[in-house]
Amino acid sequence: MADTHKHGQDIAVRTERNWAFVAILIIVGLAGMAAFAGIHQATMPQAVVETIDPTRLHLGGEFVEANLGSAVEADGSVTVRAIGQQYSFTPACILVPAQTPVTIRATSADVVHGLLVQGTNINTMLVPGYVSVQSATFKAPGEHLMPCQEFCSVGHEGMWGKVKVVSKDEFLSAMSNKKRVSCAP
Amino acid sequence: MLHSRKLILAHFWLAFIAFGAALLLGAWQMFVRSPLSGWISNPEWYYRSLTAHGTVMGYVFPTLVAMGFGYAITESSLKQNLIGRRWAWAGFLLILMGSVVAMVPVSMGLASVLYTFYPPMIGNPLYYIGVVLVVVGSWIWVGLMSINLRIWKKAHPGEAVPLAMFANVAGSYLWAWTAVGAALELLLQIIPVSLGLKSTIDAGLARVFFSWTLHAIVYFWLMPTYIAYYTIVPRAIGGRLYSDTMGRISFILFLVVAMPIGIHHAFADPQVGAGFKFIHSAFTALVALPTLLTVFTICASVEIAARLRGGRGPFGWVTALPWKNPIMLAVAFSFVMLGFGGAGGLINMSYQLDTTIHNTQWITGHFHLIFGGAIVIMYFAIAYDLWPHLTGRSLGSEWLMRTQLWLWFIGMIITTFPWHYVGILGMPRRMAFFDYTSPALQPEALSVAISAFGGFILVISGFLFLAILYRGQFGERNEPGSYSFAQALHMPQKVPAALNGYALWVALMIGLTVTNYGYPILQLALRNDTSVPAVYVGVQ
Amino acid sequence: MEEETELASSNKSWVVSAVGITLVLFAVSALLGFIIFPAAEGRESESLWASICRAAGLPVSSTVNTEGIQGTKVAIANAVPSIPPGESIGRGATLAQQCAICHGPTGVSRADAPNLAGQYPTVTYKQLRDFKDHVRVSAVMSPFAEHLTEENIQDLAAYYASLQRIELKTAKPGVAAPTIVVSGAPLRGIAPCGSCHGAIENKLGSPWLEGQSVVYLRNQLEAFAQGSRRNDVNEQMRNVARAMTQEEIEAAAQYYASKPHPPEI
Repeated sequence: MADTHKHGQDIAVRTERNWAFVAILIIVGLAGMAAFAGIHQATMPQAVVETIDPTRLHLGGEFVEANLGSAVEADGSVTVRAIGQQYSFTPACILVPAQTPVTIRATSADVVHGLLVQGTNINTMLVPGYVSVQSATFKAPGEHLMPCQEFCSVGHEGMWGKVKVVSKDEFLSAMSNKKRVSCAP
Repeated sequence: MLHSRKLILAHFWLAFIAFGAALLLGAWQMFVRSPLSGWISNPEWYYRSLTAHGTVMGYVFPTLVAMGFGYAITESSLKQNLIGRRWAWAGFLLILMGSVVAMVPVSMGLASVLYTFYPPMIGNPLYYIGVVLVVVGSWIWVGLMSINLRIWKKAHPGEAVPLAMFANVAGSYLWAWTAVGAALELLLQIIPVSLGLKSTIDAGLARVFFSWTLHAIVYFWLMPTYIAYYTIVPRAIGGRLYSDTMGRISFILFLVVAMPIGIHHAFADPQVGAGFKFIHSAFTALVALPTLLTVFTICASVEIAARLRGGRGPFGWVTALPWKNPIMLAVAFSFVMLGFGGAGGLINMSYQLDTTIHNTQWITGHFHLIFGGAIVIMYFAIAYDLWPHLTGRSLGSEWLMRTQLWLWFIGMIITTFPWHYVGILGMPRRMAFFDYTSPALQPEALSVAISAFGGFILVISGFLFLAILYRGQFGERNEPGSYSFAQALHMPQKVPAALNGYALWVALMIGLTVTNYGYPILQLALRNDTSVPAVYVGVQ
Repeated sequence: MEEETELASSNKSWVVSAVGITLVLFAVSALLGFIIFPAAEGRESESLWASICRAAGLPVSSTVNTEGIQGTKVAIANAVPSIPPGESIGRGATLAQQCAICHGPTGVSRADAPNLAGQYPTVTYKQLRDFKDHVRVSAVMSPFAEHLTEENIQDLAAYYASLQRIELKTAKPGVAAPTIVVSGAPLRGIAPCGSCHGAIENKLGSPWLEGQSVVYLRNQLEAFAQGSRRNDVNEQMRNVARAMTQEEIEAAAQYYASKPHPPEI
């Protein structure tokens, strides 16, 4: 009797150990996938933590009104600068070209907001005091909704912006002799 | 034999009454933001309700369940009367008081900041003070669990601590430490600003502090459920626990790695460096380990019960299970929801996949499935299992209990599956209403309406649950005998000392907190240029 | 006795392996997170130490200089002290005599100028500063504001804030709140008016509007919509006004003008 008990226990311990090994393999596999995706730059968290004074955005620096919107960089990529505030984004409609690397730089002027572009992987928090940076490339022309995805007090349900993706040519002609462009009405 | 029956009943009743009220609010919220209802004339009511729902469901309800269950475990597994019962009542009263103090300003619309606080929005100080009282009340319970175990260990040298108590105390230590993050945020940052002593606050730092609490609090909610898996389920269905040691290892893994991984909630935040985001992501993968181990052990334990009842075949044994037993039904539903919820969790924890669904309704769907589904359905099972021992009366019809569990399961699936779907479409969280007439939102309308129906089913189930417990207070007198826990298939001859105590594991938990949180907190706390003006809500 | 030693020795191996595994895990994830990933991003001419600091999240201040700032120069959060200094209100009362022609001797206008009695001090301060700084332009107001000093403006803001909000005779009770005021228009990015202007919540820097002249309200909304008024911070009000239809502007102006009471303090 004692022998069968011992035998049963050995089997139990062995089975359990095998399962633990499989479980660890699953986890290493998952972590490995994350590491692989990270190294191959599928998407990476923003590289630098940047601070900024939200009360003085309009008084100087990169987020003054005249500097908001889309700008073409020397290398042909596009930088979009935007502000989230109770209860709108400025610019309320962001204009970007398709098939062009876009960097979005955004921050909040008051409380915590979120910037989410539907149908894309653009999704970041806007925390007052810090600058959020995201990179993306829009595949095709079209319109996307851009809701605030974080509760920002009682008008949160009314905080919806837009992203309008146009062809490269259309974008460049909209851009002609302007430093910054948006599709806000 | 339970001696502190009144104490335990008080905890459970307060927990479940609060749960019932918050459940109604939740269903109302699902309804008003669905296409079934017109827009509410004042969106602030929605956010007020949301704050109350989250605060009660997150801080009050599970804490009271863990506490009441913890007292029951102490007395029944250690077979000694609870030491410090007066203190336990004091803790209970603190929670009652804290809940009232917090809910008064919330119901007046003076603190519609949601249970996650979200500074720099600042509400009425009483809200935060109430939450602190709730936490302090629960810390008394942590102290009592530790003291009771220590006294028992002194009286029983060389004996292994019963698994139920071992897990219970591990859960209490996890809670004690994980609550510190939110406590620091409240005491050092929010309350001084709320009282007007300061007018600026570092919102980024506050989010880091909150993430310290936000993830592991889920594991604290989970603890009673896992304790029930290991120590109630095998006994209730007539089986044996497959492995006592694996149970201990699982609970210890939760204790060590549940907490220093919280920054995965801040993947999309600009104030945390990418390196720390990766470290937290890697450790988050690790926290799946105890759950995978548990799933194996519990499935094996359930199989033992089936084979003892004559079950045969590689899968045929499933039919031999006592499906009419509510506990069996609850654990099966719980596992199904844990499976789906866990799969969703794997998506949330990877930085790359998270960007698609971060802060969409997917997240709300996810944690309702895990917490409201997998965890809470086992709270029901715990209550059903314990009730006769608390009231000395039989609980009545198992048919009603099964109906209640079925409704909860169906309701939760109907609620959360469409919720996940609209999240993938990019529907944001926490909005008082949506303009479904717009072509862009029309594809979401049907799913949201279905989800609201799920909410109604949950309300019916929740109130059926309360009714069953209430009837149980007046059932037939029936002495159920002593309350016992599942026996292991092979009771280990010797439990390693490391799996009988906590010093090593608590030290590792704190050590990992220092390595994983120390720098992200200090680098922000030591700067003076990251604080921003508070935005007071509820003031005209 | 023997048992105890056995427990202790087995504990030691647990300590060694638990601490060891944890350290290895941390070291591997730190190596990946702080060294390998930042290097894979391929920033040229970045020292190892700098890339570790970057991955750890050491904050850098965003410093970009831009010229050509045209908007308001007021930082709303700290525009006015929470309690005005002692003589401020008195000085403000003296200065306010020149305002009475349009804004009324009690801060309640008999023309179509805004009622100022009991208006939030931040609001009055900001508008006067903007007139003075030429970022809000009015043929009537600009010449007055030009001569005011910073202290004058603070005093006037404090004085008007101290006046009692009184019931207005122009009220037309019974005008139902239009949808645009109660619910806004979410997908056009319009939150309910009351979520900033007081019926639901007040946002610092936003005036209460009840009982103001319908002409004034309509004109300002139109000016924001057309861009002839642009002194709102970060286009906060222009974003809303531009998305409103002419009917909605009219309905909102009529509704607020019809309200008998400014909100109670």
